[in-house]
Amino acid sequence: MRRGAIVRMAGIGIVVGILVTLVAVLIPWLPTSASEEMDRIEFVFWFATVICIGIFALVASVIIYSVLTFRSPPEDESDGPSIHGHTGLEVAWTVVPAVLVVAIGVLSAVVLSQNGNAGPNPLPVKVFALQFAWRFEYPEQNGLKSGELVLPVGRSVRFEMQSADVIHSFWIPEMGQKQDLVPGITTRVVVTPKREGTFRLVCTELCGLGHATMRAPVRVLSQAKFDAWVKQQQAGAGAGDKGAATFAAAGCGGCHTFTPAGTNGKIGPSLDNVAADAKKAGEDVRAYVKESIVDPNKVIAQGYSAGVMPRSYGQSLSAEEIDALVQYLAGSTQ
Amino acid sequence: MTAVDHGTPQESAHAPDPWAPRPRGFLMRPGFARAAWCTGLFFLIGMYIVVSIRWLAGWDPVYDWNIITPVGALTTAPIGFLLGIGAFDYWLYWISGRPTRPEDHSGHGARTWKDYFKVNTDHKVIGVQYLATTFVFFVLGGLMAMLFRAELARPGMQFVDTQTFNGLVSVHAALMIFVFIIPAFAGLANFAVPLMLGAPDMAFPRLNALSYWLLPIAGLMFLASFLAPGGAFATGWTSYAPLASEQPIGQIFFNMGVQWAGASSILTALNFLVTIITMRAPGMTFWRMPLLVWANFTTSLLVVIATPFIAGSQFFVMFDRILHTSFFTADNGGYVLGYQHIFWFYSHPAVYIMILPGFGIISEIVSVMSRKPIFGYRLMAISLLGILVLGFSVWAHHMFVAGMADWLRVPMMISTLLIAVPTGVKVFSWLATMWEGRIRLNTPMLFALGFISMFVIGGLSGIYLASVPIDIHASDTYFIVAHIHYVLFGGSVLTIFAGIYYWFPKMTGRMYNERLGKLHFWLTFTSFNLTFFPMHWVGLVGMPRRVADYADRFANLNLFVTIASFALGASVVVFFYNVIVSWARGPIAESNPWRAMTLEWQVSSPPPVFNFDEIPQVVGGPYEYGVPGARHAILSGGAVPQEART
Repeated sequence: MRRGAIVRMAGIGIVVGILVTLVAVLIPWLPTSASEEMDRIEFVFWFATVICIGIFALVASVIIYSVLTFRSPPEDESDGPSIHGHTGLEVAWTVVPAVLVVAIGVLSAVVLSQNGNAGPNPLPVKVFALQFAWRFEYPEQNGLKSGELVLPVGRSVRFEMQSADVIHSFWIPEMGQKQDLVPGITTRVVVTPKREGTFRLVCTELCGLGHATMRAPVRVLSQAKFDAWVKQQQAGAGAGDKGAATFAAAGCGGCHTFTPAGTNGKIGPSLDNVAADAKKAGEDVRAYVKESIVDPNKVIAQGYSAGVMPRSYGQSLSAEEIDALVQYLAGSTQ
Repeated sequence: MTAVDHGTPQESAHAPDPWAPRPRGFLMRPGFARAAWCTGLFFLIGMYIVVSIRWLAGWDPVYDWNIITPVGALTTAPIGFLLGIGAFDYWLYWISGRPTRPEDHSGHGARTWKDYFKVNTDHKVIGVQYLATTFVFFVLGGLMAMLFRAELARPGMQFVDTQTFNGLVSVHAALMIFVFIIPAFAGLANFAVPLMLGAPDMAFPRLNALSYWLLPIAGLMFLASFLAPGGAFATGWTSYAPLASEQPIGQIFFNMGVQWAGASSILTALNFLVTIITMRAPGMTFWRMPLLVWANFTTSLLVVIATPFIAGSQFFVMFDRILHTSFFTADNGGYVLGYQHIFWFYSHPAVYIMILPGFGIISEIVSVMSRKPIFGYRLMAISLLGILVLGFSVWAHHMFVAGMADWLRVPMMISTLLIAVPTGVKVFSWLATMWEGRIRLNTPMLFALGFISMFVIGGLSGIYLASVPIDIHASDTYFIVAHIHYVLFGGSVLTIFAGIYYWFPKMTGRMYNERLGKLHFWLTFTSFNLTFFPMHWVGLVGMPRRVADYADRFANLNLFVTIASFALGASVVVFFYNVIVSWARGPIAESNPWRAMTLEWQVSSPPPVFNFDEIPQVVGGPYEYGVPGARHAILSGGAVPQEART
């Protein structure tokens, strides 16, 4: 190969490399990290990116150089040199990529193991998913239940997750970690929030009609504020309206509009009209509401389909909670 | 070789032919009229089998459409269609002891355009039938994509409801994967492989015809699901249980459609394997086969081994629903993740089923258009086999966040990363093939170069996804959507376009318009990148895939992607205009416009009905460009050199 060719090709490669590096650096590819796990994911991401920029620049420079240099006019009927192969080159481009990918693999395995390690004193949080809502439970805080995920900053959180119906997936983009919730098994994931702020938990596994809006608010607070929140919730649960608390904790607002609770879900029928719907079904409002919670497919409101609302509330809510919920829904609309 | 009578049956019927069929009426002749009433009749047969069993057993309701649909509409009615169209005629004659007319070649070759709408046993006709059919589904799948991109132009819901959106996304993917990319490659290979081997046809021409006619059944089933009560199947093309077991009845159309498409794939693959193993011309050793043949040999092995797994997974989902079994439901000891293991044991190799034939096409084009032998021919063939073997050991990389056994993650990551090695070998070998060549930048070569650069991007984003920690962040987001479209559109679809332009003169006997071809390439290449590159970004910063609605902060990027996707859709119009007008009125093509060495270019364009008047003698490799005096094969007239006879 002529020396001039190498110099010109290297020139093209450097230009391409710089352009691709600018694309990599100038676009904010990843959200601003909010967890220690995401920091480590970012490190692997940039490690792989450096290798990928090198490979892309090499391939692009060979293609561009070849097209510019070896292009021949249509009337030229000559053939190229009959080169069938080159053992040294073929060995090189088998071995070098193998080494590079193994390097990525080793780094990834180390990071994976670190990201799965919750350390000596994690905060346990139970996560329950159902179509189309998230519920959280804090075993260390006397089993406090919440429809909002509130976490203290700087402490590893160990999530134990269960699904009531189909597969859902737990992801807070700024925190990186993702884990499916699978009916029949308990899955686990570790997240260590590193900065305070408001985030959003989203479902990333297609779970039915309400999948796109199956989100939950996430707040990361200082330890002191977190303790205050816990205290306030525990006090509220005893004193406040049990029906309203159940409505919030069970995630009803994810699908249903209900003005007294300030929710505006559109997947299921609006609960503001529950009295009129009961009249249409020819039933007493309380009986109708209770039936719709426990056996949702029995009467289907006009314009909605059977099989959308989970059938599991009869088991997942206590009899006391259901009664409070019926009282809350039927009482508020009369 | 004995001379073959190319005449029509009328011409050869010089004496009263004892085997000639009695003339049959319009409704009894093989064709669409008979197919229509047979489909209806077989639907009724299926329906009344179900109804009479339910009536005898005293089950209520007797007319249960959850059972009648899979049995009557999705199983027996398609069998009636195949019977009516004439796919079984020969075999039924043979089984019932009636004369089968072995010398009748009326089902071979196409004389008018009408012959393309009949059961035809000629591999070249079947190849064109495959391509025409798959491109119909390509257009429909593309229009669906534009519909849901319109919905995604703004946050909130505008044009369609959530059920329809999920249905559009799912049917788009099912059409593109099962009845466009996979069978379009089968169509190109159907046309090219027997010619490249020096064979008169495929090993089993009637089976070949049946494989083709199974395909429209699958495609129509996917489309018909939109008519089902409750809407089309809406669980994505992955159709994960247990969501899929609880969906409205449209889901069954996916479960069964996959069976028909899968049957078509398996039969074609068996046919290719037998053809490639047994029907090579004298002198065509495995190490003299063109790489397209190698690629289809490897792909066929993948199809035969892997496809039964998706068939099983879909049957089990359907049984969970209609027979109340619990393969994949958490009650009664079912194992939810079992679905994903079985599904991906097919569907990961399916990714290679959708790209290896493309590798073959690109190898042909790069070598011919650079006027140089393919660089490292043997390593190119071996790397295909390497991908085949490794491809069966990586399925669980789709399940890094699924909750499967933790220990599986690192081994599956390593095997996934190692697939980059044989794939890299192929890319570097194509580059080295071009080096110091005499490069012709015509349309097939432009698509080949576009493919190489786009596939490298798709391959590199695959490295990110192989790394478990990055995959945990990127899984189930738009980053995945970007990655699969760089691999399946920037990869597979660009190679399909390259292959169609490359073999267009051979298939049609006419030349396409080069300027329109180049225009098509640049429009597609640009709008493709504008559509799919931003998806990497929107996914990494937090937008999940398969969502009908999204947070407001993703609005600008989504609007941009939607506009680019419309441009991408429009670019296909140039392709269709070029193909249709050139086929009708294009300049007559030479037999070998690219001055290629492989056998399909050594016969007329289009080739004779039985391909070769004389069996070719293969005497050398297929890519000996620039080697003085080298030949791949000797066709007629020339004396066969002594060494080729041994």
